[in-house]
Amino acid sequence: MLWRIDARPGRVSTFTLSWFLFAAGIAMYFYASNKRHIENPDDKVIPSLQQLREGMSNAFLLPDSEEAAPEEFANASIATKFFTSMLWTDTLASAKRFVWAMLLLVPAVILGLHMGMFPVVGQLFLRFILFFDKIVALSVLPILFIAFGIDELSKIMLIVIGVTPTIILDTFNLTKGVPQEQLVKGFTLGAHDFGVTYRIVMKQIMPRVLNSIRLNLKAVMLFLFAGEMIASQDGLAFRIALLRRHMGMNVIIPYVLWVALLLFLVDFGMRIANRRLHPWFREA
Amino acid sequence: MSALIRLDKVGVTYPVHGHASKVVLSELDLQIERGEFVAVCGQTGCGKSTMLRLILGAERPTEGRVLIEGEELPRPDRHRGYVPQKYSLFPDKTVIDNITFGPEMEEFSIFGRLTPKFFRRRAELRETAHGLMKQMGLDAPDAHKYPDQLSGGMQQRVAIAQALVMRPKILLMDEAFSALDPATRSGMQRLLRTLWAESGTTILFVTHNLNEAIYLGTRVVVLGPGQGIVSDFRVPSDCRAESGYPRREELERMVRMVEEAGEPQLAGSLS
Repeated sequence: MLWRIDARPGRVSTFTLSWFLFAAGIAMYFYASNKRHIENPDDKVIPSLQQLREGMSNAFLLPDSEEAAPEEFANASIATKFFTSMLWTDTLASAKRFVWAMLLLVPAVILGLHMGMFPVVGQLFLRFILFFDKIVALSVLPILFIAFGIDELSKIMLIVIGVTPTIILDTFNLTKGVPQEQLVKGFTLGAHDFGVTYRIVMKQIMPRVLNSIRLNLKAVMLFLFAGEMIASQDGLAFRIALLRRHMGMNVIIPYVLWVALLLFLVDFGMRIANRRLHPWFREA
Repeated sequence: MSALIRLDKVGVTYPVHGHASKVVLSELDLQIERGEFVAVCGQTGCGKSTMLRLILGAERPTEGRVLIEGEELPRPDRHRGYVPQKYSLFPDKTVIDNITFGPEMEEFSIFGRLTPKFFRRRAELRETAHGLMKQMGLDAPDAHKYPDQLSGGMQQRVAIAQALVMRPKILLMDEAFSALDPATRSGMQRLLRTLWAESGTTILFVTHNLNEAIYLGTRVVVLGPGQGIVSDFRVPSDCRAESGYPRREELERMVRMVEEAGEPQLAGSLS
């Protein structure tokens, strides 16, 4: 009766089902890799376990190959090696841009909140933001490079253009969704416009806004990667683009998995923070 | 001295699809004096909640004037407490924080909340809130619960405490007990009558239940759909039995009045 809509899979079934596709994916990968390596032992398209191990060791424990490794580096601890490695340097560069982009979402949330609360602000911005939201962010990339140059600002602006309209509109809709009774109640309890806006409405929508940002993390990363791949001297996407030219799949695959892991951790951290900060909030 | 609340030829018309419009209230005149407990009763769609929202200042009349102590007040304020049927509490605040929200909001700005004076005053306010909770029949451990952890009846008790802590001149209640089960509802009705007798606050209670209106109010105003006030009568305190409910002959008189006013359905719910 496993296929019925009222099925209640047991613990073993749940465990097996939820990990099955991972196991199948890994098995298929190594089957394909093995097959290609039988035909061509130097195949780089689907690296073998040995090649992956070498690639990971180079990326995780060695500094950028363009820099000469100092003599004492060979005797350094694993931690020292990791924190001076190519992967870590790239991670820090991307993380800096990511943090900037996330900080720029704060004004987006505040704008959405004010648009929802103050009709004049809503009327001023809504149509414009709705139009802005329809612009394909990547299509304005050349304009950004011309306007802001190819340095950090254009990459951060790409993320801002790509993600902020969604966050503004989400916050606007969430604000509008707060029952009118709550606003009236606020006024009857002596609150003024900003009291109602920040102490009643913002507090109530915040967990949903954080969820919305969490669900848009992938979009943030997408635009960050697009910017880095096209015009950058460092960062995770820059490295992936660089290695693509050399068919460095044994490093690209660990990089891709590392990015997924980081994103998973940020998502997980935000979930925990949301639960701690808003213990009253029950997710649907 | 002018009436506390005065509705002067008030009309409300809502635009509906296209160019059509719906008249909810028309030429409504009503005066409410200080200390009255007015129960507004009527069928769904007769405009009783609209009338309450007009007095609250949450809505503007399309015709006429709504005067509170002789003044037109454009928006809700701390002198008019409000207890709606739903969304009566802030879901992100605990019971105690819901009750102390108003005084804290009124007395301290955002920066004022960072001063030691705020924390001292907060302790006092919490003490007052605990007293109110006790008066409402709520236990001390409930203070740190969130609204969704409370039953409907408890939520409305907290909502009344939250409104009363501001000592409003008028308490406006919109179908506040409609979602409660009969036993809880009857307990809440008794509690509200006691609170009214003790505080002397003017209460305007909107309900679609004539039974409840007669039990609670010192005055019952019946609205008819599109007709405005069809009946407006007093329920004298000496006509009540020990239970607080009017005696049979008085009740029959009221039923006849409501029937004659053209609301046999409402009257039928009593007889």
